[in-house]
Amino acid sequence: MNQDFSRRVFLGNSLAVGGGLLLGSSLLSGCDSAADTPSELSSTPVRGGRLRVGIIDGDQSGNLDAHKPVGGGIIRGWALYSKFWEWNSDVSTRLALAEFAEPNADASAWTIRIKPGLEFHHGKTIGADDMLFSLLRLTDPKLASPFAGLVGAIDRTALRKLDERTIEIRFKQGQSFFPLDETLISFGGIVPTDYHPISNPVGAGPYKLKSFIPGQRSLYSRFEHYYKPNQPYADELEIIEFKDQVSRSAALRAGQIDVASGVQAEHSALLKADSRLQLCVSPSTSFTGFNLNLAKAPFQDVRVRQAFRLLADRQELVNRGLNGFGRIANDLYSPHDPTYNHAIAQRPHDLEQARSLLRQAGQDDLRVELTTTPGPGVNAALVFAQQAKLAGVQIKVTQVDGSLFNGPQRENWLLSPGSTPARGFLASALHNDAPQAIYNRSNFHDPRFSALYQQALAQPDVAQRKVLVHEAQGIQHERGGLLIWGFNDVLDAASTRVGGLVPEQTTFASWRFDELWLNHG
Amino acid sequence: MRDLSATRWHWLAHTQTRNGVVITLLVIALALCGPWLAPHGPTDMLGTVYGAPTAGAWLGYDFLGHDVLSRLLNGGRSVLWMSVAAAAIALLVGSTLGLLAGFSRRRLDQLITWLADVSLAFPDLILVLLIVSMLGRAPWLIVLTVAIAFTPGVIRLARGSAVAVAGQEFVEAAQMMGYSRWRILFREILPNILTPLLVHFGNMLTWGVGMLSGLSFLGYGVAPPTADWGLMINENQAGLLVQPWAVLAPAVLIGIFAYGTNILAEGIGRSSSRIGEKP
Amino acid sequence: MDKSSKQPRTPAWLAWFIGRLGYGLLTAWVISLVVFIATQALPSDPARVILGPDAPLESILTLQRQLGLDRPILQQYLGWLGHAVRGELGVSLDSNAPVASILFTRFGYTLALLAGVIALVVPLALLLGVGLALRRDSRLDRVGLSWLIFLKATPGFLLAIGLVLLFSMPHMDVLPAVSLIDPDRSLWRQLQYLVLPVLALSLSALPYLTRMVRASMIEALESDYVIAARLRGIAEWRIVWRHTLPNALVPAIQGVALTLRTLIGGALLAEVIFSYPGIGTSLNSAIQMRDLPMIQAIVLLITLGVVLINLCADLLTVLLTPKLRTARRVTLIQRNRRGIQPWWRRSTPKAP
Repeated sequence: MNQDFSRRVFLGNSLAVGGGLLLGSSLLSGCDSAADTPSELSSTPVRGGRLRVGIIDGDQSGNLDAHKPVGGGIIRGWALYSKFWEWNSDVSTRLALAEFAEPNADASAWTIRIKPGLEFHHGKTIGADDMLFSLLRLTDPKLASPFAGLVGAIDRTALRKLDERTIEIRFKQGQSFFPLDETLISFGGIVPTDYHPISNPVGAGPYKLKSFIPGQRSLYSRFEHYYKPNQPYADELEIIEFKDQVSRSAALRAGQIDVASGVQAEHSALLKADSRLQLCVSPSTSFTGFNLNLAKAPFQDVRVRQAFRLLADRQELVNRGLNGFGRIANDLYSPHDPTYNHAIAQRPHDLEQARSLLRQAGQDDLRVELTTTPGPGVNAALVFAQQAKLAGVQIKVTQVDGSLFNGPQRENWLLSPGSTPARGFLASALHNDAPQAIYNRSNFHDPRFSALYQQALAQPDVAQRKVLVHEAQGIQHERGGLLIWGFNDVLDAASTRVGGLVPEQTTFASWRFDELWLNHG
Repeated sequence: MRDLSATRWHWLAHTQTRNGVVITLLVIALALCGPWLAPHGPTDMLGTVYGAPTAGAWLGYDFLGHDVLSRLLNGGRSVLWMSVAAAAIALLVGSTLGLLAGFSRRRLDQLITWLADVSLAFPDLILVLLIVSMLGRAPWLIVLTVAIAFTPGVIRLARGSAVAVAGQEFVEAAQMMGYSRWRILFREILPNILTPLLVHFGNMLTWGVGMLSGLSFLGYGVAPPTADWGLMINENQAGLLVQPWAVLAPAVLIGIFAYGTNILAEGIGRSSSRIGEKP
Repeated sequence: MDKSSKQPRTPAWLAWFIGRLGYGLLTAWVISLVVFIATQALPSDPARVILGPDAPLESILTLQRQLGLDRPILQQYLGWLGHAVRGELGVSLDSNAPVASILFTRFGYTLALLAGVIALVVPLALLLGVGLALRRDSRLDRVGLSWLIFLKATPGFLLAIGLVLLFSMPHMDVLPAVSLIDPDRSLWRQLQYLVLPVLALSLSALPYLTRMVRASMIEALESDYVIAARLRGIAEWRIVWRHTLPNALVPAIQGVALTLRTLIGGALLAEVIFSYPGIGTSLNSAIQMRDLPMIQAIVLLITLGVVLINLCADLLTVLLTPKLRTARRVTLIQRNRRGIQPWWRRSTPKAP
């Protein structure tokens, strides 16, 4: 396929093919295209072509490591590696490489068996040795993967091979760990025992590596023995890295790439107006909010925390901070989770109550510092600072760079932004306020909450877990340290030639390289 | 032949200088008085994001819904004071060091010029970028860094002029009369080199505006929510095609200010009738 | 007549040149030291930037040990210097690829950009400068000068944004706004990506050089020997082409050198705006990511480049000025005020 693709040909083709498509339209938003004529919806996958995806990895060059991806390496991992499970569009998990993966009665051990006859890119059959190797590599302290913390409960010495295709995973000190699927899925790519991230980056993903230039682009070709039959569709995949949104949008509009993954809301109007493009809005349940540090004054006082949560005008934050692409939240995460407590009433925007609470707490003329990193989060911080003024609180927004923000100080910032990708309740807590959270910026340590959480970890049964989580969320809502004001939509833009791009509640709509195809023209 | 062209240049110089003065003063006035003229506060979020111009907001709204006109009127101060401060500091420090070097013993002279050379061996934007990115974005730090980048040029200029003037008779006469070095420097030499220094000051203003707005554009300048012309260009470039005024208005003002100071500097330079010295 | 004139004597300019070379290398070394110390004084560290926000402390410490960031500063510097002298510039902290190989390609792209600008600006400046000088004070001259002043005053990045608005917007999508250079194909086949960045940089470099050529041409036209030649009745075109032009061009060499030095800084902004994969964007990324080996290598490269440019310009000027070329003593070259002026006596300030 000729990569140098003249605009004239492109325009001509898009007129013939027409708009985007919708599959599984049980979701709220869809992929929009500005094409007026609802031309033929091509819902049949077409094989062939080179799919070019543009990603933003900022200034990092990134790598290809399955277990320690940096920068664009995370997205590239979706092309190269497969895991035991994969994400459903409603943030639950389904089996992928595994044909059986279940916990025991109290979730203190998991048994995982993979499907027979699966291969890696270089032809080796996937066996239990490879599975163990992958898990050991992910949790290897010498590798020092930042994502090892999520599965830190795994007991490396207790990993057992049950037979050629089955392993058993147990946890340290006999603990229970129910959310293994959600935590292991993200960076638990299964790799062969002869894997090396630079010289032999082999996995079982839909595409195998052809070439990689760090910081610029990588090229992949279809893996013919992918575990899903007849997939992936495109012959080749090219992932091109951009430093910023503006240049990537320009490239997409010029036809230099086919898919732009993770478009910023500000560009949406422009992209929507272009009839050659489709905009895919995924109503994800990843949240954006602020962490109030309970270890420091004035947030030690629960009234001040309540006041802050009340003075936030959530709708305005969504409108201005997310350009309207999002939904308001109720200071609680994981609304898609079956155990979520929908009975807790939405906290209103109540300036009077906020002011009176502050007065009661003796904080009439409060000044706090909000520390954030440069980037899209600054907008929300600025909006919030402006809203706080109306309640008599002066917020000073300070920007520090990323390494300082996540440095040794990271749990000491008084007020800082926080966000977590779409995950279930138990997994999200590991990012935020669980007792064994990998970092707990709000320093929330409530004994009752911790006790409930520990019990929930050991409870595979949904109904019983629901009771525990409902109470835990009540505690979070009442006296927690998280101000979660909104769930953000994930925007992906693609040319109208691209098929298979479907909005989801996860953030991964445009990362499903095994589901996307290119319509010819 | 030389006389004829001299008169012609003078005429042109006067018009140019006049234009330069008018333009520069206009922009300065806008920047200084702007905050009082602004219909809304610079951080008030009133309209929709990237809203189109309306009767109440002549230039529309920006990336967070602020009124562009208000932010424009408030945004000149930081660019102005920072470029003036940087140029002034560079002028003061640089001319002192340069004069000292030009009129001192070889050792001191060599040391100062060597330091100036080493700093000049490096493109100044990159130098400023390195320092500011590492040490943070405090306004005074940015001013200091830009001043440091400009100082070596002033040192060279002052030194060169000082050396040229130092050999003249009135200076020798002053020395014979026993005046101290400092007195000679400041009362005899300085007034004679004022013109090239002033021209250079004008040039530094122009470069300063360009560098400071460039820094803000790259994201290393003043921090939000301060209204600043360079920062406005940075913040609103994503919406360039949807709401161009948010980027165009500050860009045009930056350009006009730089143009005005440039013409002014040129006018002063030309009116001292030295053709060919400063292209 | 002294007998030593029989012995072959190394020309004075060679001795001077070697002296300047040493001086330049010294400067480069000092700057590398300063930058090294400055980057070490950073309040944040590369290990955290690389591993991201979720990294636990042990991961960070391990990475720091692996990257050698926990050794004393002097030891790190000496280690780096030792390797650098041998041509090994280390491994990028960010992408784990050797710095030298990354820089090789990127530097090549930036050189292509600079070469394009020089190829466009120098002939244009010569043409315009001489043309305006010959038609001095005419309407064309004044209009031309006004435009040049306008270009000189406008900050470079605004010119670049203006060009993007003119040529790359939906209504007029003539040139690519983003330089998406495909590394697999030769640069010659992808020249359209170079057009806008070269144009943007050329427009900001043009004014200074044009006016310098114009000024020195005017000065040459008014010198005594030209008046004498005119009085003798020599044809005007002959005077211009064979007598004044060569003399007027020698100072232009210094102008080109200054332009190149300024271009290196201006190229940073242009590369960022157009996402051109050159040294400028590498440096910007390296600073963001605290990629110390990369920062040090790029700074060293730029400094050496600047030193080289100055050296070549000065050498060329000496060789082209008969008086300096045949000078007997090194000090004559140093003290001479016309033609080549030594670094520390040049009065032309740095243009943006």
